[in-house]
Amino acid sequence: MDIAFILLNALVIACIYGLIAVAVSITWSSLGLINLGYGFVFSFAGYGAWLAATYITKMSIVVMAAGVLAGALCGVLICLIVFIPLHDKPNFTTRGMIGTLAISLVGSQALLMQFGPRAKALPEFFGNWSVNIGGTVLTADRIGIVLCSVAMLGFVVMWMKGSRRGLEIRAMMMNPHAASIVGIGIRKTGIYVMAITGAMAGLAAVLLSQTYYVAPFSGLTPLIKGVSIALCGGLGSVQGAMIAAIILGFTEAVTSDLLGGQYVLITQFLVIICILIVRPRGISGLLDKAREQ
Amino acid sequence: MSDTFQRKPQHWLNPLSVWDTDEGLTEVNSVTTPNPRDVWDANTAYKAKTHKVGRLKYHVVWPAHGDKLWSRFRWWPTRRNALDIHGLYNRKTLEAEKKINDRRPIYWAICLLLIALGPLFFPASMQNTLLSAGAIFSIFAAINVCWTLIVGTASIFSLATYAVVGVSAFITTWLSMQYGLPWYTMPLIGGVLGLVMGGLIAFPALRLDGFYYALLTLGLNELCRVFFTTSKAFGSASGGLYGADTYIPQDLDPVTQSLVGYYGAFALLIAALFLFRFINGKRLGRILRMAPEKREAFAQACGVDYRTARVTIFLITSAALGFIGGFYAAQYRGVAFSIFSFDTVLLGLAMLTIGGIGRAEGAILGTLVVTFLDRVLIEIGPLRYFIIGGLMLGVVLFLNNGYFGIRKQFTAWRNKKRGEWRSQRAEKGGEALPEEATEEDNKDALFFRRFDKMQRDHLKKMICPEIIEEHRRRPLGQHSEALERVLYYFRRSPMEDKYALHFIEATDRYKIIAFSGKRGVSPRVVEDREYESIDDAYHAIFMRRIHDLMES
Repeated sequence: MDIAFILLNALVIACIYGLIAVAVSITWSSLGLINLGYGFVFSFAGYGAWLAATYITKMSIVVMAAGVLAGALCGVLICLIVFIPLHDKPNFTTRGMIGTLAISLVGSQALLMQFGPRAKALPEFFGNWSVNIGGTVLTADRIGIVLCSVAMLGFVVMWMKGSRRGLEIRAMMMNPHAASIVGIGIRKTGIYVMAITGAMAGLAAVLLSQTYYVAPFSGLTPLIKGVSIALCGGLGSVQGAMIAAIILGFTEAVTSDLLGGQYVLITQFLVIICILIVRPRGISGLLDKAREQ
Repeated sequence: MSDTFQRKPQHWLNPLSVWDTDEGLTEVNSVTTPNPRDVWDANTAYKAKTHKVGRLKYHVVWPAHGDKLWSRFRWWPTRRNALDIHGLYNRKTLEAEKKINDRRPIYWAICLLLIALGPLFFPASMQNTLLSAGAIFSIFAAINVCWTLIVGTASIFSLATYAVVGVSAFITTWLSMQYGLPWYTMPLIGGVLGLVMGGLIAFPALRLDGFYYALLTLGLNELCRVFFTTSKAFGSASGGLYGADTYIPQDLDPVTQSLVGYYGAFALLIAALFLFRFINGKRLGRILRMAPEKREAFAQACGVDYRTARVTIFLITSAALGFIGGFYAAQYRGVAFSIFSFDTVLLGLAMLTIGGIGRAEGAILGTLVVTFLDRVLIEIGPLRYFIIGGLMLGVVLFLNNGYFGIRKQFTAWRNKKRGEWRSQRAEKGGEALPEEATEEDNKDALFFRRFDKMQRDHLKKMICPEIIEEHRRRPLGQHSEALERVLYYFRRSPMEDKYALHFIEATDRYKIIAFSGKRGVSPRVVEDREYESIDDAYHAIFMRRIHDLMES
């Protein structure tokens, strides 16, 4: 057992799932929407990147940008179909969740009809080289994944802290009602939030495409892992999601190294349940009470 | 109203001029005064649009005899009635009649009878498809009725229902294959397994709330899927585990086998409905109706132990789900991995949402719609998922609580619209609105406000430059009829905020003040302007009052 190898694996896994977890977390805390449509966003972004790679160019920057843009577009689409008509209706949380599920059902079937069940592969973005540091081989792919997701997360955190739109989103997280009173449009902010979180899911899709390929239903596992991490970190907390991503990434790496791949989910869920039993609102639940509508 | 009246100029001769007491105003230009009756008619007219036939509620009263209202069917050995009936006298014929207050048991009986007699009406070409779809429908409806108990009655948003069913089905199949268990033990063992699973899943439910739990159970479902699909003991390669004992005799011809399966599943559905009735309609259900989500603290303060009630329901229902899982295995001789797939959970949620969460009839209708689309319309291909997704989205976007919530939602919408229409009709020119009127003790005040409003409508028609000019020329003394009527109204206004003149001796000028209307509270100064002559001051007050009148 190689500690460095496990840690590196944990870091890579944490980076990718962390992106989706942070997306789920931000959407929940600012819009009150449990978006289970990120699986569809994930596949949609993958196909967007694949189309770009097939018809435009195989340049990795362009393909990644296409994936991120497709993810943002898909996020905005979900916002327009589900969030905007529903956000002021009774039972919004349940209805919103079921609405995103319906979109994911229809969308995945549409992708299946359009592109067929065969998985598509994206070109390798980061080349084929590797670095050896102190006996640990770092492949280009891993370094690229870590750098890209850290850059994206850093950008999102900076944007949330520093920009006017980020201020609006944080105001919505604290108190959506008061935010709307002081002139922060719920619908407008919803579109920003869904665009940025969709872009994060899109980036995750592009980065993960080396492992999962691009298929109509490939978004399911990342979605469930992302949701579990968001849950474990505390819905609504970016830091919590990151901590949870690292913990669960570590669990996954250790389990697949010691016990085998099929036990990954079991140990992960045991860890999640233990954490949630000790802290029912997650590691650093931002909101004392669940966000009330 | 004031637009319809045409003012006519009138030449007014001062009757006092004959005696030379007219103080310089012998004749002036004025206007005719309108007929006060017009205002009265306009204000008392019924302005709502009327139809020839009124909107009387149409009640169906069954033409049953009302001779022996006390003689009713009772379920032996309880004192419960089959139907909630009350006696009334027909308004026209004055005969005693029976009225059924709650007709739902009749509808239930009709629908269940239709399902039971369904195989007689199936077209021969589709009989096989419809019988297998019917069996699937009954089993899934039974699962969804139990799920409704968890989500609706116990308000635990668990998505692990199919996981419980699947685990129990897989383990009973495996036991039956390994140890040759006969089919009748499989549902029972399944029930025990379901209880154990329920106990495990219920443990986090005590700590987590709402959506944390929903997402966790979604993960548990995925965990079960991965575990069973990768484990070798459960046939990881073959897409499912088959080979258990079954209650369907294998030596019958295939159609009869399907029929036996259909009625077996139907019996399971009936059992699930009874479970629903005996949990939701009895003590546990009533306790939990007292403690809906987000109001648990209140219920707890009233002495309702909602946690125990929820966990009890969860455990009972999990046992029932396990039973259904064992039954499923005994019906199909095994189970496929697809029971754990995300799509199954999704379709299950679609079934619950389309019908309406929290109602048994909703769960069954939703199951019927989705199963029909999913199993019977197979030839239309993936399009059927679009239809299901579209239905789900439509229900979620437009209906508050599924198809069976339409009636309540429609009534609420109609009441809202009625209120809007009424407030559009109502003129708020000083009249009291019905809501205000019920709060007011002095009904005289209401009538006064009504009369006052009409009088102001009447007077507004007379305000014109002619009478203003007449008043400017001579504020006191005899005036034309139009001006005189306006002035009478002004003079009669209440003391509160009534305008008056204040003479400032130091400067020998006048200022406009307004009385407070309360003893001991000094008047307020209305404006800073001072008037040199008293007639100018009178006219200034007159202009203010006209302004107030036209504003009101």
